Amino acid sequence: MTWLSVAFKNLARKKVRSLLTIGGVAIAVAVLVSLLGFDAGYQRALTGNIDKMGYQVLVTAKGCPYEAATLMLQGGGGLRYMDEAIYEKIVKDPRIEKITPQLVATAFDKERQGGQGGVVLYMGIDPSYLALKPWATFKTGGWFSGDEADEAIMGYEVAELEQRLPGDQIFIPNVDKVLKVVGIFNRTGTQDDGVIFLPLKTAQRIFGLPGKLTGIGIKLKDLGTLGDFEEDLYNEPGIQVISMAQVKGTIFNLIASARTMTNAVALIAVVIAVIGVINTILMSVFERTKEIGVMKAIGASRLDIFRIIWMETTLICLIGGIAGDMMAIAGTHAVEFILRRVLPYAPSGQLVFITLRLLGISFIGAVIMGLIAGIYPAFRASSMRPVEAIRLGD
Amino acid sequence: MDDILIKAENISKVYRLPAEVIRAVRDVDLEIRAGEFIAIMGPSGSGKTTLLDILGCLDRISSGKLGILGRDVSRLKESSLVGIRRGNMGFVFQDFLLIPTLTALENVELPLLFARLPSGRRKAIGLLQKVGLGHRMGHLPKQLSGGERQRVAIARALVTSPKILFADEPTGNLDTKSGDQVFHILKGLNQKDGLTIVLTTHNNKLGSQAGRVVYLKDGSVVPREESSLYA
Amino acid sequence: MFRSVLVLLFFANLCANAFAAVGCSLNDPDRDVKRLFPESTGYRTTFVTIKEAGGEALERDIEERLGDKFDTVYESPDVPYAYYTVLKGKDVIGRIHGVNQKGQYGGLQLILATDPAGRIVGFYYQKISSPESAVFRNKAFTDLFKGLSLEDFSAYDVKEGAANEGRVSKIQDPSKNSGEDFRATLRGIKKNLILLDVFLHAPESGLGKEGGK
Repeated sequence: MTWLSVAFKNLARKKVRSLLTIGGVAIAVAVLVSLLGFDAGYQRALTGNIDKMGYQVLVTAKGCPYEAATLMLQGGGGLRYMDEAIYEKIVKDPRIEKITPQLVATAFDKERQGGQGGVVLYMGIDPSYLALKPWATFKTGGWFSGDEADEAIMGYEVAELEQRLPGDQIFIPNVDKVLKVVGIFNRTGTQDDGVIFLPLKTAQRIFGLPGKLTGIGIKLKDLGTLGDFEEDLYNEPGIQVISMAQVKGTIFNLIASARTMTNAVALIAVVIAVIGVINTILMSVFERTKEIGVMKAIGASRLDIFRIIWMETTLICLIGGIAGDMMAIAGTHAVEFILRRVLPYAPSGQLVFITLRLLGISFIGAVIMGLIAGIYPAFRASSMRPVEAIRLGD
Repeated sequence: MDDILIKAENISKVYRLPAEVIRAVRDVDLEIRAGEFIAIMGPSGSGKTTLLDILGCLDRISSGKLGILGRDVSRLKESSLVGIRRGNMGFVFQDFLLIPTLTALENVELPLLFARLPSGRRKAIGLLQKVGLGHRMGHLPKQLSGGERQRVAIARALVTSPKILFADEPTGNLDTKSGDQVFHILKGLNQKDGLTIVLTTHNNKLGSQAGRVVYLKDGSVVPREESSLYA
Repeated sequence: MFRSVLVLLFFANLCANAFAAVGCSLNDPDRDVKRLFPESTGYRTTFVTIKEAGGEALERDIEERLGDKFDTVYESPDVPYAYYTVLKGKDVIGRIHGVNQKGQYGGLQLILATDPAGRIVGFYYQKISSPESAVFRNKAFTDLFKGLSLEDFSAYDVKEGAANEGRVSKIQDPSKNSGEDFRATLRGIKKNLILLDVFLHAPESGLGKEGGK
């Protein structure tokens, strides 16, 4: 016989009560794991999304961003343009590793978004685009035949929607232009999947924007030079420099309030679980006053009693921790589904990212929770004087 | 003189309640020698159980001097008393007080766990066989009769090889037949194994079979005649 | 100012989600069912794939009846087809069903409304991307299909893009330069009618069991 079996048999005595308490602990642990997993997952997914943009710095034309976005949503142009000359100027900067110019144009297609009409994104690019996004590989077909060809490369999803294959035609409604599809990109999981790409010069021509760009994507050789680089561009008229690190920060700020709330929920769940455990063990200690007295009479020291009660509490939390971890793993998809509906911005990719390390930490956390919750009941039990416990316990 | 196991000199036990002061044991002098079989008798409320608890180091005295195995325990705290109990004293209670979640065998093994003695399963089995329960070792207390439970309790009290066995009304909750059986076991332990036994009882028939009877009245030791109720 | 990128990201993500919702289901079933069958009191939606309803053998059977091979990329057997069984009280008064069909400049979404006997009572393009989309959407053209049933299309050769005889042969291409979209429309409608017939008779589809026919 071992200490553990004595403690375990005590828990088995009131099965429903023990199970309910374990359930409480499990829920607290599951909530905690899901939320911490979300914290880690969100950061990871967002970082992944931003990394998949390929550039660390985006140079764009100055303008009120909200206005531009609203106009875009309504299907108008609304985008700000800058002169290609700026690109020519920046491209020689020795700090730059890779750089690509882009011209984004939009066309309102009334067939999109289930008949309500929607905006189709067209992006004029040159071969440097592929260098900046090495994962942009072709599912079928290939690059444009010339830098002014009336050709298009389609993102994976837009190609699927339009059932296009290389050799097919596409029609751009606003500018009444037909282009030939030469390639289709593999799925990237980014917004690029919904974009139709054209040669930069072709885009400038058919959208009537000769010599214009909407953005320049830049990857620096050393991100440490970002501050200087930004500073140098600060004096260029009509442009602004946006670093992706700052974008990330902005998004994190945006969800900070949501995080505070979820963390509070987790904390409450943990507190309730701890109180539940203390209550359960304390009740069982009081019910067993006589037994504890007898144990002392037959040789159990204060420490022995403390140990048994402490073990019971820890066992509850340990089993609860395991159950909670399993619940969290099983519930990942459900949590993810809810979060996607609730969050202001959800990056693509796995939002709830539960690592082995997280499971380990939560498990150890549950055990520590048990150890803490067990102190008071164990102290109460061990402080009982044998004669009082036996004689007055009736 | 080294065969004196317990020496109580002028011991008293006082309970201070809000409304009154109860003197449960008054100025008792008592010596218990190895191999004795002592019955403490007296009417309800005479302080039998309190005296037994004190002698068994389950409770502390208010005044006087108590020596156990040559050691003065008068001022010892509960944490030290447990060390004296452990290994030296075994206890049997009126209402058995077995741990309901443990089997008969596990109940007997439990004191060994507390005494940090290496697994004494064989010894526990031997003791259960000795009290005639070799066939019921895997049963839980609720599956046993009262007499069987008390016999498990006796085996439990003996497993650490104590020098003294304290029994508080060991037959009080049993029918005559089971009571006789239990008493017979206790007597055998005293006579065959030389175990020192101190018990309390209401039962004159049992008391008369003890080697020595201590009569209590209102917490004091009195001559047999004065304990007229049981004369 | 960094909000700009945030908004762009958000916006772009929305677009991506919209693209992902490719299918031949109705854009707004409540509205569309009421428009096509004003007397309806309700409808039931069933999703069926060729894979579930009969697998490869069924696909070959459909191809044979269609007289053309399925596109390996965009007409795969696990595409779900949506069927709206239109009810008036407990009676089935018709069905609405759409197919995706590859067109000249993009994907076509062809929606048919049929009566319980399988005759077309309504047809429209839920989606067509073409310089001449207006002439295709014109009621003068779409109404030509009313009253036709699968039998009428049996004479139509989808590979040749012509019918020798029968009512389908009388339907003329309304466009000047979009003959491919015209032929795609006829192929899509024939495919749509065949699929309805096949699924109604395949017990696995869960479509035919409500009776009404």
